[in-house]
Amino acid sequence: MRFLVILTTFIILLPLQVLADIVVIVNPRSNITALTQHQIIDIYMGRNPGLSGGQKLQPYDQAADSSIRTDFYYGITGKPASAINAYWARLLFTGRASPPKLVADNREMLSIIEKDPMAIGYLDERDLNERVTVVHKIRTQNRE
Amino acid sequence: MLRLLLFLFIFLLALPPGQPANAFNLGTERFRISGFGTLGVTSAGKKDYGIKKEHTHDAQFGDVSVLTDSVFGLQLDLNILKNLDATIQAVAEDRIRQDFNNIVDWAYLSYKLTPNSVIRAGRMGIDLFMLSEYRNVGYAYLWTHPVVEFYKPVSLSHYEGFDFRYSRRISPGYFEFKVFGGQTGSDINVGSGELNLRMRPFVGFNTSLEDNDWKLRFTYTTTDTAFIKSPTDSLVNALNQVPQTIWPQAAVLYDQLKGINTQTHYFSAGFSYDKHNWVVQSEFALIASRWIGVDMTNGYLSAGRRIGPVTFYTVGSYAKSGSHPRIDQNQHFPADLEGLATATQNLLNALHIDQNTVSVGLRWDFHPKAALKAQWDHTWTRKHGGGLLELKKPLDHDITLNTFSLNLNFVF
Repeated sequence: MRFLVILTTFIILLPLQVLADIVVIVNPRSNITALTQHQIIDIYMGRNPGLSGGQKLQPYDQAADSSIRTDFYYGITGKPASAINAYWARLLFTGRASPPKLVADNREMLSIIEKDPMAIGYLDERDLNERVTVVHKIRTQNRE
Repeated sequence: MLRLLLFLFIFLLALPPGQPANAFNLGTERFRISGFGTLGVTSAGKKDYGIKKEHTHDAQFGDVSVLTDSVFGLQLDLNILKNLDATIQAVAEDRIRQDFNNIVDWAYLSYKLTPNSVIRAGRMGIDLFMLSEYRNVGYAYLWTHPVVEFYKPVSLSHYEGFDFRYSRRISPGYFEFKVFGGQTGSDINVGSGELNLRMRPFVGFNTSLEDNDWKLRFTYTTTDTAFIKSPTDSLVNALNQVPQTIWPQAAVLYDQLKGINTQTHYFSAGFSYDKHNWVVQSEFALIASRWIGVDMTNGYLSAGRRIGPVTFYTVGSYAKSGSHPRIDQNQHFPADLEGLATATQNLLNALHIDQNTVSVGLRWDFHPKAALKAQWDHTWTRKHGGGLLELKKPLDHDITLNTFSLNLNFVF
């Protein structure tokens, strides 16, 4: 019985794992309302000739060592951040594409997407506001 | 150079890892300077049998070298007009000939014709195999060095000419087709001296289909040897002087050894898979030529598993010459030709390739811009099959060789 009490107390005291999803966002003026996982992979992996409407989105990335970046890429590609970094080194040093521009945090990401109609980014769903459009949602259980 | 590399690496590590300025970008919207480098320590070879991973390096005869794997590169990308870009890449490494012409690996203009097609002109990386264009960028691949049996036989790093690339997403994946043409060449060390090659025309195509987890790739390239200067020229030319009636085989051997005006065809197929914790890559090639120094088949299979930031891997590879000509044993040589016959057979034996390697290693991605790698290669080379080695004496028996390499790879 005492064991059960200790176990229950331990479980209660554990930090709650928050299922905070990552949302992919664009500017409402882009008129894009949804993107498939394939489209997002192409945009973020340098295979970005443009969408069917002729629009070419400029991707923005979170800080290189941030957990949200790790979760984002794992969520859409199934690969760890180290594999993504090596992949981008291949593209950059074969002259094929340049990696997405980096932002410091969710606040800066929001600020860019709100201003630039051709920008695309991602952030923690909890930091979302009504001035951007969610075009894709990535469910993750790894994040707190 | 090493002191400079060390300084640069310390500088890079001193940068905050997640700085928003851009992990790979020290430039502005229209101007970007990026770089890569490797600091390596390698132990390889034996007293009489040297190993080198690139023809451009000095061979190692059992010694430890910090130059074999060490390389430093800088790339400048400039956006000139809306669809017009320029790229220059300079690479500093231990090579037989250090001059401005060799250090500038790339210098080209690229123009985006449509969202799906790009044309480039200038000096560009050879795109024969999966790693060919970025074999100097250690951070971009799993191993401490490109697979010797597969990548060493092709010593060409760049060509001058053009390419046209078309890509689009189709139903099974992302499709790309590239056609290229121009001329190429290399100045390499073959042990007994310097080999200078100029190949033109150099034309071919490659096509790939990839999705998120996998990639398939096929390449065909053909080229003609327009110029060759080799330490064996006098021997080979002597074969051409032998009267057909005295030694009929001499003309055939001359044709197989001369290199000049010989067409070579490269066929290759590659496959890669990368998902979750597994990384698999394989390539096979057929290099078909009358020139026996390059006529061969080769390939490798690499499999790795990620455990946290560390990827453990193993690679198996082989290279084997298409044929091994021998001097006709029934031929009776006049006294003045015996020396030529013996030297020719020694050359045929030295050029012949029959080798395979098994490697195990690990890559530790300890930083978003840097990785540490360690690898052990165990190589089996058959009697008279040491064409990929540097031989101080004829290889008249089977041998095994070990290579240990430790690398620090970084990009910025």
